[in-house]
This record gives sequence, C-alpha cells and structure tokens, in this order.
Amino acid sequence: MRPVITVAATELRRFLRDRSNIFFVFIFPLLLVLVLGSQFGGSGSSGRVSIAGESGPLEQAISAQLTDAGITVDTGGHDEVLDRVSRGRTDVGLFIPAGANAAYGSDEPVRLEVVPGSQSNAIAVQQQVRGAVGALDLDRARVRALVAEGGDRGVDASTARTALAAVDAQVTPPSLRIEDVDEIAQEFSGLGRFDLGASSQLLLFVFLISLAGSTTLIQARRLGIIARALSTPVSTGQVLLGEAAGRWAIAVFQGAYIMIATALLFGVRWGDPFLSGLVLLVFGAVSAGAAMLLGALMDNEAAASGVGIGIGLVLAGLGGGMVPLEIFTDTLRTVAHVTPHAWAYDAFAAIQRHHASLVDILPELGVLAAMALVLLALGTWALRRSVARAM
Amino acid sequence: MTEHATRHTPPEGPPGDGDVLLVTDLSRRFGDLIAVDGVSFRVGRGETYGLLGPNGAGKTTTISMVAGLIEADAGTVTVKGHRMGPARVEPKRHIGLVPQELAIYPELTARENLTFFGRLQGMSGTTLASRVEDVLDVIGLSDRAKDPTKEFSGGMKRRLNIGIGLLHEPELLILDEPTVGVDPQSRNSILESVESLSTAGMAVLYTTHYMEEAERLCDRIGIIDSGLLQAEGTRDELIRLTGDVDHIRLDGSGDTVAAEAALLALPAVEQVDRERHTLHLAVHDAPTAIAEIVTEATSAGMRLNDVQITRPNLESVFLRLTGKALRD
Ligand SMILES: Nc1ncnc2c1ncn2[C@@H]1O[C@H](COP(=O)(O)OP(=O)(O)OP(=O)(O)O)[C@@H](O)[C@H]1O
Ligand SMILES: [Mg+2]
Repeated sequence: MRPVITVAATELRRFLRDRSNIFFVFIFPLLLVLVLGSQFGGSGSSGRVSIAGESGPLEQAISAQLTDAGITVDTGGHDEVLDRVSRGRTDVGLFIPAGANAAYGSDEPVRLEVVPGSQSNAIAVQQQVRGAVGALDLDRARVRALVAEGGDRGVDASTARTALAAVDAQVTPPSLRIEDVDEIAQEFSGLGRFDLGASSQLLLFVFLISLAGSTTLIQARRLGIIARALSTPVSTGQVLLGEAAGRWAIAVFQGAYIMIATALLFGVRWGDPFLSGLVLLVFGAVSAGAAMLLGALMDNEAAASGVGIGIGLVLAGLGGGMVPLEIFTDTLRTVAHVTPHAWAYDAFAAIQRHHASLVDILPELGVLAAMALVLLALGTWALRRSVARAM
Repeated sequence: MTEHATRHTPPEGPPGDGDVLLVTDLSRRFGDLIAVDGVSFRVGRGETYGLLGPNGAGKTTTISMVAGLIEADAGTVTVKGHRMGPARVEPKRHIGLVPQELAIYPELTARENLTFFGRLQGMSGTTLASRVEDVLDVIGLSDRAKDPTKEFSGGMKRRLNIGIGLLHEPELLILDEPTVGVDPQSRNSILESVESLSTAGMAVLYTTHYMEEAERLCDRIGIIDSGLLQAEGTRDELIRLTGDVDHIRLDGSGDTVAAEAALLALPAVEQVDRERHTLHLAVHDAPTAIAEIVTEATSAGMRLNDVQITRPNLESVFLRLTGKALRD
C-alpha cells in the first residue's frame, strides 16, 4: 500500500505545485458560481422589500407578514425607496399613503402602491407582498363577519379580534401561501441563489480539471518516470493504482475545495455533508478513471489537454452543468444521463433540496460507481499497455 | 576471422558467486525488427561492463530487459541469482537504473525526486533522509536541493538522474548513455563517480556510443550492432582481435638513415618508413617499446624533437567488425 500512497501523494503534490492551476482550480470556479448565482438563482429565496410612507398598525402588520415569509424589510423615505428600487438594491418598493393606517384600523378599504424592480426576483417578491396584504385582508374579513353575525349580541370589532386571536392561538391558522404552480419554480423554491450554480460548477470543474490533469500522466510516461518506477521493487499494479489514486485525490480535492469555499463565501447549502461528500467521492472516481484513460490513450500533452477540456465542457453542458437539467426536455434529459454529471447532479439535487437519505440516492451512486469502475479498469489497462509500448 | 570466435559466446560455466548479472541468449523483436538478437554477457562484483554501439544498436532494449521493464522474447536475465522480468520484484531490489531519458519530475525539487524514488525502493524515515542528503552531496546538488528540477541545467538534471539510481546503494548500477548532452566538466564528474562506485565494489552495466568512455571506464566491453553482440573482451583483447599494431612517429634531425636501420633490427618493430626527417614505425605494444626505441634512435645519431604514439582504438575495432563507423 505504501508505494500506492507514495505515487498518489506525489501526483497531488505536482498538481498543487503547478502555478498555472491556481486560477483555474481556486479562483475560476468561484467566479462562475458567483456569476451564475447572480443571474439564475434567487427565485423564492429571501427577497427585499422597502416600505415608505405612513407608519402605524398597517405598516407593522405587513412588515410582520413579510418578515415571516423570510423577506428582508426596511423602511425609508419615498424618494429614497424609489431610488433603491431603480438601482436594484431592493426588489419591491411598497408605498403606504397617508391615512391608510387609520383606514385599516376602522375597516375602510385601503389602496397600497407597489413598485417592483426590474430584476427577475422582483416578480416573485411582489407576489409575496400581495400574499401578505391578502392575508391581512382575510383577517379583517373574518373580524367583519364575526361582527356582522354577533353585532346584535354585543360583539364589537375589538371583542371579535380578541376572540379570533384566542382561536388562532389554539388552532393552526390557515396560512395563506403564494405558491408558484410552475413545476420548475417549485423545484427551485427554497434554494439559495448560489446553491444550484455551485453543484453544477463543482461537477464541471472536478471533471474538467481531472481530464486536463491527464497531461501529467502523459508527461510521466514520456519522461520515462513510470518506466523507472517499474524498475523499482514495486509491482506494476501498485504503480498504476497509485496513478489512479493520485488522480482521484486531485478530483476530490477540487470538489471539496468548491464545496467548502462556496459554503463559506456564498452560504451554499450542500445538505448532509456525509451524503454530498459521498457523491463527490464517487463522481471523483469517475473523473479519475476518465483521466487515466485519456492519459494512457494520448501521447501528446497539448492535444490531450485540448481534448480533455473539450470533452469536459461538452459532458458538463449535456449533463446539467451549464443549464439546469430541469429545464431540459424529457428526451434531452434522458440523453443527458449518459453523462456522469447528470447522475451526480440528480444526487446533489436530491440531497440539497429534498433532504434525501442514502437509500434515496443509491441508484445515482450505483450508476456512478459502475461508470467509475469501468473507466478505471479501461484506464489502467490502457496505461499498462502504453507503458510496455513506450520502452 | 578471429572475431567469430568470441561472437555469441555464452558466459562460461555456472553462475559464480562473483556474478551480479548474468544475461543469456537475450532476444527481443518489435514487429519485424529484431532489436536484440541472442545477447549474452555477465557482470561481476566491482566490474564495469560496457555495451558499446551506435544509435539503434539495441542497447536500450537490452537494458530494458535487464531492468525488468519489458519482457524478453527469449533468453534469461539473472540478477544475484534471481530471474528478472517485469512481474518480478525481488531482483529489482538489487538494481539501480539510470535511464537514457531524464526520468525526473520537473515540478518537484531535487530532494523531492530523490525522496520519491527512495520510497519506491522501500526506504523511509531517517535512513532515507540521510541517504538523500548523502547523494545530493555526491552529485554536487546540495545547494540546489530545494529548487524544482525544471530550473536545472542539462548537466544538473543528468547528475540527479544518476543520483536517483544510486540512492539505495544497489549492487548493480545500470547506466544508459548517462553523459549524452553534457558539458565536458559534468561529463568528467559523472565518469569519476562511476569509477569510484566501481572501486567500491558496485557492478556497473554501462552503455555508450562514445568509445573514449568505454575505454576509460569499462573492464570489459561488448560491441553491439544491429542487436548482435559482435565481440566481447577487455579493450586490449578487442584490439588484438583485429590484429592492429600501434604507430610511433619520430620527428628530428641528424642521422635518420642510421636510425631507421637500427630501429628495424628491434624485435618490437614491425616496419619503418622514412620521410625526410620523420620516421613512421609500426610497433607491437608501443608503451613498452618506446623507451628502447628512443634510446636506439638517439644512439644511432638522431636528435629527437617530437615523439607521437598512436594506438588503435575501439573506433577502429568497431570499423573492422561492422564495416561502419561508431558515430555517423
Ligand atoms: N518500443 C519500440 N517499438 C518499436 N521499435 C523499437 C522500440 N524500441 C526500440 N525499437 C527499435 O529497436 C532498435 C534498437 O533500439 P534501442 O533503443 O535499443 O537502440 P539503442 O542502442 O539504445 O540506440 P540509441 O543509442 O539511439 O539509444 C531500434 O531500431 C529501434 O527503432
Ligand atoms: Mg538507447
């Protein structure tokens, strides 16, 4: 086992030593997560509402409703709020006209003015505002109904309100929720703005960096380092296993880095760390196998790097690494599942969004493990052949 | 011709205790090309054996089989009594291979490269660490130990390449053209370290297409061409094989005619040609005969200005054996 670890550790060390890797391994993935996150993510996630105008019970009630729905609420002057909306600093501006609080208190109809921002998130937040106001309206309607029914029995509005509050405390009130009936929006609701981009970028980069790293294998072959290693008292199997393990370590390193960095920097939720770690380990093994195969079949480092990046991008695109799989047509989604990316994407989605258990993601893990085994076996076999050929 | 007598001679007798390496009837083909064709030789403790041959002669292919990197089609390699082959681990404990290409990681430092191969040799801990420092010292790279090898000069890389082969103090050191592309100074230091290793008792298998290196380093030399071991022996044996004599050139003044007659009478002298003030002599064993020749010429009345000895070398042996020059 020692020689295997020696070879694997050396491969990882070479990978980390290569300065040109720093940008692509450490910076570029985070940049892409950031860009994708600000473009795509955010639907259903905590938005921002700025309230201007008269303060009072109505403003407080709306503010409380919105805060309950996970929306950040702040207040400001009329112009200030308008300015925030136009600059995209807030999703929706809500304007409460003078007298509205009093009208709300005495059950008069109230008109509120809503100004949505232009970002894609704004529509959803506007819906939230409508929902909040609607919920207040429902509350008022119940009080009105009670007063109408029991007015002759001495029930006034404040008694009705007290009674309702007492009832609400005992039964779970039917909360009004604005739910998007669109399946895709439903799938993504509750997802942090960076969560989706982070998992797809992780898959893209783990695979891409692994394939591009096949050049170090070609170099080791070309320089005769592998041959020299085979002249030492270690078996061919140990050397090849070490090469595979080294590539695996590189893949897992890249993935773990993206997981930890996006969690810390962008608050990405990766779900159960054990399960998402497991998906990474298995997907990393697939990447390592593909890298072994590429590094064994090709003799030219520049060509291998080009082919590796090409394959890496195409598979990632096909497998949901650029556009979410959920947006694919059914046929295309089926096709996408020839890629390991799609299976890993599904597994991550299940863990991140649906709190999936190990049993739930066993099918995905199984398919990935099978892909890894086939590629590693092919890669090792091809490498053994190429080593015998090159001397 | 006499050379056929030594051609294809298998090592005589059973493998003795002194034999570190025994190669018998080794053959290997690549497709239609027979790269190595029935090569046999043996290398004992403290002995340096040279494989001298031009490009494509089959030196590296032979060495690859000796080091257990590739399978032989026929024949055997035995190291310290263990059969060698790609799947054999035991005999590989005793060999150190210095490949023709620079088999070192460019991104890693000299120390890291040494440590890596040391680990593969099964070394560890302080033993490994102190051996690494020793070797760095021997190859003169102690002060560059922390630099990545891609920043090294060609000669420094060559030295490291050799250092890796020495690390575990193997009983058989295999060097495949270790001085190619090296400046004269580095080359000399490489040759010196091989000499001292051999003196220390290491068996060395050395391939080269430089006949000066083979002459200087090797106790015995095998001349290889087109995969065939054409002849084998010590330098002198090989030269005698071709029947060549040494040449001495005497420049001077005085009575060159009398000197010519006197020298011709000496038993060591085969032939004398006179050309104005210069005498060309064909001589057996010039180094021994030179004193007598100088004395004889002087007493015959010749005043010597210049004496030059030319001995046949492996180059001329090679030319005789194969009909072509060692270097094209
Ligand atoms: N892997 C291979 N596949 C096909 N032919 C090969 C292979 N390796 C060597 N050969 C051929 O075998 C012959 C001997 O090659 P080898 O490398 O042993 O020569 P060499 O004596 O080491 O030459 P050089 O001094 O150039 O290193 C050459 O004709 C070479 O082309
Ligand atoms: Mg060679």
